[in-house]
Amino acid sequence: MKTIEVPALARVEGEGGLFIGMKDGKAVEIRLDIYEPPRFFEGFLIDRYLQEVPDITARICGICPVAYQMSSVRALEAALGIEVTPEIYTLRRLMYCGEFIESHALHIYLLQAPDLLEVPSALDLAAIAPEVVKTALRMKKAGNELLKAIGGRSVHPVNACVGGFYRWPDARLVKATLPELEWGLEAAKETVKWAVMLPYPDLKINYEFVAIHHPIEYGVMNGDVWSSKGSKLEVTDYETRYIEEHVQHSNALHSHTKEGGNYLVGPLARLNLNHEQLLPAAQKALKDSKIKLPITNPYKSLIARAFELVNFYEEAIQLVKAYAPNGPAHLKLALKAGEGCGMSEAPRGLLYHRYKIDEKGRVKFAKITPPTAQNLPRIEEDLLALVPQLVKMDQEQATLTAEHLVRSYDPCISCATHFLKLKMEEVE
Amino acid sequence: MYVMNILVLGIGQSLRGDDAAGLEAVRLWQEKFPETAVGARVETSELPGLVLLDLLEGMEAAVIVDAIQSKAPAGTVMRLGSEELASFMPETGFTHGWGIAETLQLGHSLYQGLASCRAILIGIVGGQFDLGAGFSPEVEKALPKAAEMIESEIRKLI
Repeated sequence: MKTIEVPALARVEGEGGLFIGMKDGKAVEIRLDIYEPPRFFEGFLIDRYLQEVPDITARICGICPVAYQMSSVRALEAALGIEVTPEIYTLRRLMYCGEFIESHALHIYLLQAPDLLEVPSALDLAAIAPEVVKTALRMKKAGNELLKAIGGRSVHPVNACVGGFYRWPDARLVKATLPELEWGLEAAKETVKWAVMLPYPDLKINYEFVAIHHPIEYGVMNGDVWSSKGSKLEVTDYETRYIEEHVQHSNALHSHTKEGGNYLVGPLARLNLNHEQLLPAAQKALKDSKIKLPITNPYKSLIARAFELVNFYEEAIQLVKAYAPNGPAHLKLALKAGEGCGMSEAPRGLLYHRYKIDEKGRVKFAKITPPTAQNLPRIEEDLLALVPQLVKMDQEQATLTAEHLVRSYDPCISCATHFLKLKMEEVE
Repeated sequence: MYVMNILVLGIGQSLRGDDAAGLEAVRLWQEKFPETAVGARVETSELPGLVLLDLLEGMEAAVIVDAIQSKAPAGTVMRLGSEELASFMPETGFTHGWGIAETLQLGHSLYQGLASCRAILIGIVGGQFDLGAGFSPEVEKALPKAAEMIESEIRKLI
């Protein structure tokens, strides 16, 4: 096998390339090149009023805008020292269910399944298995419709604000999503049965998994940062252990633990750390599948997404049935200077925000750590672990297998490249 | 509402300069031609991706308005018919952000009903797609023309 070079990765969000330099059958260099230009989102939050933040940060990603909204509103609420009501919190979780459903259905069927079924793209998959793709689009639509009912539109919803929601969504619109969610739950159970049968490449990695953990609910917004190595931190202590730094070949920062190790965020980390908090239908799907946890094969993150699909359809159904708007849709804000951080689990992993605001509620500092930046060094290390297998393959197969590994992470390169500081220097 | 189900869809990111031209052209059309606009289903979307297929469901005609990149000068307004849209080769690498042409291609391969929807695109050639709101002078000037083209398309349909 020669050097593997994929100048532009397909079926990932954003612009990145892959390079595995080989010499005498050994990898001498592995790089996930992130050349998508930095997008400076943190920079243009400066001096904005805090209520603009959720709608601006939502624009970082078209797939996980709710994650950006939720991490930002929670951080800003922490800065103001306010806690939303249980009704508001529950509606936020329901909105998050919509995001998980649409994102996971897309990734499972249209981004990763073509690799496992050995077709070049979702269009080719639609040609040979139209019913599979139709099911995927219907499942995805159920999530988008939920987002629309709560947030006013299916992509980049606009109803979330610091303190709650601008208004309670119309109960009739929310309840109208129920039949498709109930259909989707059954489709998700079938997705699990299908997912466990797929032919995954063999790879076992000794990961450090990191995810939000909550003792009662499946970790999405509330809870602490748990690591499979035993670290348990409150959100306010996240930066004491998880550190970002710049690397030469990437416009995205890379994260590592303070001990210097790489770690994994995302569906595998969540499922492995939080499977006891899955709802009953997801628990049953997990038990019936006979899958043993922890799953340590990155390609099998598709299976973790399938279990989560069952879980979030199930939770959405429960919350839609119980939805009865009560009390104020948002809390009145008493502005004061402060600092706060907030976390939530985007479909592709932990998303951390920290802000400082002044007494008028204007942002003076912003830090956003997206999941893909945390996973980038991990992906490079996984590729290194894959090399002994790659060298036994022909060039085309080796390239596809390496690309597939990257895609199994569902990396969102666009999300990961918005936080570089622009440094301009005079040169002779 | 008209006898025919007509969708007018403005697409674009409001914080990416001329990319917002589709959103603004549709808004301007609604403002200038309220009597026509009231009979159509009007939607705007920042980044519809595959949601485009949901928006087209049950529609018999669609006028999609979006900013485009082209060798033509910024501010040029183009009309692309169904056949021209279908002839685009899928080339996007970002499956999270499916382009209009490949999404329509996927839709046509899956849903027979979509074949009866006459979709046309009014494309406004953008000059700058930098972060932040605001149009280039060329696109700003072209927006009324784009609004009139939307009106003309709807007039052909009703």
